[in-house]
Amino acid sequence: MLQPIDSLNILLPILYCLVFAAYTYDFFTEKKFVSNSKRIILFVTLILHALYLVSRTIEFDHPPITSKFEIFSIIAFSIGFSYFILELLTDIRGTGAFIILFSFVFQIASSLFIEHNFVVPEVLRNRLLGLHVINALLGYSGITISAVYGLLFILLYKNLKANKFGLIFNRLPSLEILEKLSYYSAVIGFVLLTIAIIIGIIWLPNAFPKFSYFDPKLIGTFFVWIVYGIGILRKLFGNFYGKKVILFSLIGFVIAIMSLIITSTLGKTFHSFY
Amino acid sequence: MNLVGISINHKTSPLELREALHFNHNEIVEFIPRLKNSLFSEGVVISTCNRTEIFGFLKDHEINLSPVINELIQFKPVKGIQQEHFLKFFSCGAVRHIFSVASGIDSMIIGDSQILGQVKEAFEISEDLDFAGTSLRKIFDSAIKTGKRAIKETKIGEGAVTVSYAAVQVVEKIFSNLDKKSALVIGAGETGELAAVHLRDKNIGKLAISNRTIERAEKLAEKVHGEIIPYQFLKEQLHNFDIIISATSSDNFIISYEDIKSALKKRKISPVVLMDIAVPRDIDPDVKKIENVFYHDIDSLKIIVDQNLQRRKEQVPLVRKIIMEEMIGFFGWFNTLGVVPTIKTMRSFFEEIRNDELEKIKNKVSKEDFIKIEDMSRRMIGRILHNPTVKLREFAETGANIKEVAAHTMILKELFNLGEVPSNGKEINEEENKADRVNEKK
Repeated sequence: MLQPIDSLNILLPILYCLVFAAYTYDFFTEKKFVSNSKRIILFVTLILHALYLVSRTIEFDHPPITSKFEIFSIIAFSIGFSYFILELLTDIRGTGAFIILFSFVFQIASSLFIEHNFVVPEVLRNRLLGLHVINALLGYSGITISAVYGLLFILLYKNLKANKFGLIFNRLPSLEILEKLSYYSAVIGFVLLTIAIIIGIIWLPNAFPKFSYFDPKLIGTFFVWIVYGIGILRKLFGNFYGKKVILFSLIGFVIAIMSLIITSTLGKTFHSFY
Repeated sequence: MNLVGISINHKTSPLELREALHFNHNEIVEFIPRLKNSLFSEGVVISTCNRTEIFGFLKDHEINLSPVINELIQFKPVKGIQQEHFLKFFSCGAVRHIFSVASGIDSMIIGDSQILGQVKEAFEISEDLDFAGTSLRKIFDSAIKTGKRAIKETKIGEGAVTVSYAAVQVVEKIFSNLDKKSALVIGAGETGELAAVHLRDKNIGKLAISNRTIERAEKLAEKVHGEIIPYQFLKEQLHNFDIIISATSSDNFIISYEDIKSALKKRKISPVVLMDIAVPRDIDPDVKKIENVFYHDIDSLKIIVDQNLQRRKEQVPLVRKIIMEEMIGFFGWFNTLGVVPTIKTMRSFFEEIRNDELEKIKNKVSKEDFIKIEDMSRRMIGRILHNPTVKLREFAETGANIKEVAAHTMILKELFNLGEVPSNGKEINEEENKADRVNEKK
């Protein structure tokens, strides 16, 4: 089974590159043929990627979360998958290039440096851990997509304010739609992050003897969760429109990234598996 | 083909002449009998604000379009009109022009969406007045098909090409569902009216009109099913609207920076779109500095219009390709008309021989056998004539060389010593189909 896994490992970045090229080409030209076929290419890529992840899980007897580069592949998949669902639900096809770029970058990094890990700590074979990590990654994918839509919102906002009616004006959906896409992505990300936190709180104290509620990674994640929670509540019950929503999403994303970087590199945590 | 036509349009004459020669529906109805009596066996009169055109088949074999122009000028005397203001078309050129008009590439605003409906309506008037025959029907069917294909297969009709529509296009880049938004149109003149109509067509949730003269506001509000905001209370109501389009003839700003600032405060910073399509401007342009205020004036909207017009111009070669395809299709059909009488004569000739021979043996064989022989001879004639009929029709449909079609027809006539029989395309088709069915059964 190693041979097909290795082949898919080479094939996936090529496919993501192809999907990215198709979405980019369509963004610039709006050719009907490309517009219809790009979604099919993305679908096939995601199916193969899911197959790749399942194959790795079966072959190495653990979910693919035991190294940074396995995690990168899951991030690539979850971003692509989340975008695919969003495109199916909204039928807005003009923004794919900006999102799929992330899948491509994560997958190429993963494919270049991934290793076959047959021997891993026993804790990493736990199913609850798998669920915890996958939910957390999907959650972070959600807030990443939210941030990308936020950036597109800012781009179109500035173009409209400056009376620039070029490619951005012609190809992107309306500000209101971009705001909604950003908001809904953030909500989905927040819900998944909540699930990840709940699983973590239930399972982590049993799995790790050194568990501490004051662990920097836990505090960081909880802080990100609070920021998004406040933003979503204000949007739901307050007068929170347009640019304010977007700025909240972008600030939340920056905090999330900073928190991940700081807690992974500077702080001492039990919450590191590799 | 002796189809002819004259056209006076935006390329050949100034607006005042075109206006003076414009025909409304009743005038066309009144004018057609005059054309029918004196000049044309069948024809169509197309008249829009930018063109008046007459197309049809002349009764007289001599191609002279001056009497047509004279008839038009007699019906609608216009000072200063000359023969030079008219374009003249004949045969293939006339068909191409009709197709170009229907597809919108001959319009003043390329890709004009109304012209196709106007062409269709013009033909319907002719049909109602019994002034349209088979050929003219086919020409206009093909023209309408060309127009529809141009819209469907190219981007000739895409993008806003008027300032008021461009304003609505920008609004759609800010708000997604206009049915949940409210709009205020200030000024009930022509531009304001256009903007209001566009907004109504986009199913705007709430539409209000404000105008210095209340009567005009009422008239427009009635047309677009909108509310009226009295002009003196305008500033107090600004915060209630997501979209404000201003198109008055005021010499000074009617909405200041402070007005918008205060309205936005009342709206709790909810975005507002301001479209100032008046000259001179109605809204202080400094409002664009306020967050969540999207302000656009006529200059910025013209950028969109120019871009869209350029894009439409780039589509013209694609439309011309469609026109050429439809012309080939039309002339393919038209050329078959010439061979129809020959096919008919040939079939009649063979049918006569068959009937003669059947008559001779009618009393020499049993009834059952006669029926069998009758069937067999019909099938035989059908099979013999199937190939020449199809080939002759195909040869004519290619339309490559009319002389060759005539030569083949002539050979056929000489070989079988055929005389002319009045043509009827429908009958021939029926006979052919019958023969084909017999062959298929066999």
